[in-house]
Amino acid sequence: MIKEVVNVKNKGKKHYMAVEFEPSTELTGGAWYDDDGNLHVEFINIVKKCCLQKIKQLKVATLETVLQLFKTSGVFKADLKEHHFEEILGALVLDNEVMEVKSNGMGEFGAIPEGKVCYKAFDKQRVGAAAEPRIGAMASMPCGVCPRIRSCTPDGVVSPSTCVYFQKWLEF
Amino acid sequence: MVSQHGILYAVHLITNQFGNLVAKVCECLLRNGALTLQAIVRRTELSPAKVRNCLLVLIQHNCAQAFILEESVSGEDAGEPGKALTQYIALFVNILHRVRFSKFMDVVSKELGGSCGELFRGLLEHGRLTVKQIVDRAGANAKESTNTVQEDLGKLVMAHYVECCPAPEPLVPPPDADTKKRAKSSKVMVEPLTLEQRVMAVAMPSAMRRFSFVPNADQVADDQQNVNQPPSKDVGEKRKLHDLESDTALEEEVECNWRANFEELLRRLRHKTCVDTIKVRFDDAAATVLSAMLEASRAEEDKVKTANSVPLSLNTIYEEVVKNEKNHSMTFDHVRTCLEELSCPPTFVKTDDESYSIDFTKITEAAQSEEIESIVLKRFGETAYKIFRLLFRAGCLMETDKIADRIFAEKKETSKTLFKMWQDGYLLMELLVLCKHLNILPPAIKCYCICRNWLWAVQTGPSYGGSSYLLWKVNKRLLRETILDEMFHAALNLNLRLAHEIDQNKEVLNLPPDKREGPDKQKFDRLRNVRLLIHSSLMKLDDAIMLFHDF
Repeated sequence: MIKEVVNVKNKGKKHYMAVEFEPSTELTGGAWYDDDGNLHVEFINIVKKCCLQKIKQLKVATLETVLQLFKTSGVFKADLKEHHFEEILGALVLDNEVMEVKSNGMGEFGAIPEGKVCYKAFDKQRVGAAAEPRIGAMASMPCGVCPRIRSCTPDGVVSPSTCVYFQKWLEF
Repeated sequence: MVSQHGILYAVHLITNQFGNLVAKVCECLLRNGALTLQAIVRRTELSPAKVRNCLLVLIQHNCAQAFILEESVSGEDAGEPGKALTQYIALFVNILHRVRFSKFMDVVSKELGGSCGELFRGLLEHGRLTVKQIVDRAGANAKESTNTVQEDLGKLVMAHYVECCPAPEPLVPPPDADTKKRAKSSKVMVEPLTLEQRVMAVAMPSAMRRFSFVPNADQVADDQQNVNQPPSKDVGEKRKLHDLESDTALEEEVECNWRANFEELLRRLRHKTCVDTIKVRFDDAAATVLSAMLEASRAEEDKVKTANSVPLSLNTIYEEVVKNEKNHSMTFDHVRTCLEELSCPPTFVKTDDESYSIDFTKITEAAQSEEIESIVLKRFGETAYKIFRLLFRAGCLMETDKIADRIFAEKKETSKTLFKMWQDGYLLMELLVLCKHLNILPPAIKCYCICRNWLWAVQTGPSYGGSSYLLWKVNKRLLRETILDEMFHAALNLNLRLAHEIDQNKEVLNLPPDKREGPDKQKFDRLRNVRLLIHSSLMKLDDAIMLFHDF
């Protein structure tokens, strides 16, 4: 008669619904959440990996191109819409795997109308390119990543002379 | 305004090189801005003679500048109305340059050779020298003839690495006259100049005089008086206007002191940073093309923080590329391909009607973003890295749940990370309170927005019931200031730690090499490695400081 449904925004409380109804994506969270209301991290990573592979093959791709490729291939059983792929491409940009740029209609962007948003993978195989992201100057020393830097003073309890992070860093 | 740790770092540099007394005077100027001699004496509680000597040292080494503000005097230094008082201002940027001498030497020696480099080293060590002093020094060190020395000096001046020193006590007009003049000619809002910038703008000789050196064998006179020498017995005394007029006339006739031109050297280092940034993002070929563009457009650049280089044609760029023997194998098409890649978004090179110009602002911002993201990733983790990139690109307030959705992270973890970043000053936070009924609105409301019959109130105080949401944002300007202050703090810490290590091991350092055995040798080797690591970290960190402070 009734079934329990998960509300991703309020997992602490139990929610019930008649069996003949389907819960909306506002309750279930949509394609990115599993039946228990948890983020389906594995599925998301798979979709990200596939999208990245496609973009690397094409060198430059628009959202529509990526959507079309997956629709025709039928790789995913889940019903992924355009906004799902937009979210995935957005996540790849935040991961620094791809760049979001506007086409200037020239060179490798020749096939894409000028001004259209497209995605370009970083070419880590290029000769002379860095294999791993560079660690900045601050990040390569203890103070740059120290959680106590605001309490650090020359003569205080936390100081460069007594700092344990410095001690470890200078162990040869 | 110099940050707290910027001042501490600068004072530490001065202490190391000139001692505690000079550092005390320098700190007084850095913390209080421009002061007269009497004001410095009062605040430092040192004798006038000591303060005067400290000021002479700072001026000699270009770390301070004297000037006269012609305006009515009031307050603690009240004197006769209409009298001009000599004031002193610390030059924070020039103090920072003192750790960059090895980089400057590298630039000069690579371009002009060893003998010019040696002459330049003397100018860095002594701050400023007359031609006679330069010749005497070269003669004593390397037995160079006067003609050779003057030739080398001429090369350095021609390349703009050396300049004629600024006027010792320029007359600085009031700010109102300056601002109005600039506002009239410019339709774009212009940031007002700081006092330091105004003083140096007036003190600098004209472009012709600044880089005009005429070799003359008889130029070096033993007893020639020079008004461009740092003021000695006249430091701190009030100068009457008619005295200044006669001094100005004399200045025209007398030789000037010469010093390193930090502006040109900083420009070269900025170019180097741009080339390195492009090399990492693209490849060696793109870096070569950019380097050639910088070389070709160098003469037209008039300031360090230029936004764009002058436009260059493809032919000019190609000619510049192949000038270097190493690049003879690069074809015209290869150069064009590199330019097309650099012109693709993000556009580091702008194209306009078959000409190309470098967008320095874009390259600098890309390098700065990389540095900040590196810190965020290492300090706060991967989730914070994604959050930061999202908010930095968005440039507006975003709600916690929305952020969690965009980065595909759990809401609890997102919230925790946001708070950590906010506590360290990397994010701004605002509380949005949703109130359904007007009559329960709290009195202290920041602003209103009516949307779908609900009144949205944004406030920074406690919640008054109803739904409340936390909004987050990256304020780029404030963030850069925070990062720069942390960099100064880190640089100071590196110096202090090095001093501590040397102090802990001074017995081992004092041992003769043949007596260092067993544990002593191990300690000595460790100390050598510590010194190398800290020095190289300081150099790398200084590059980052330049990126945020000077470029």
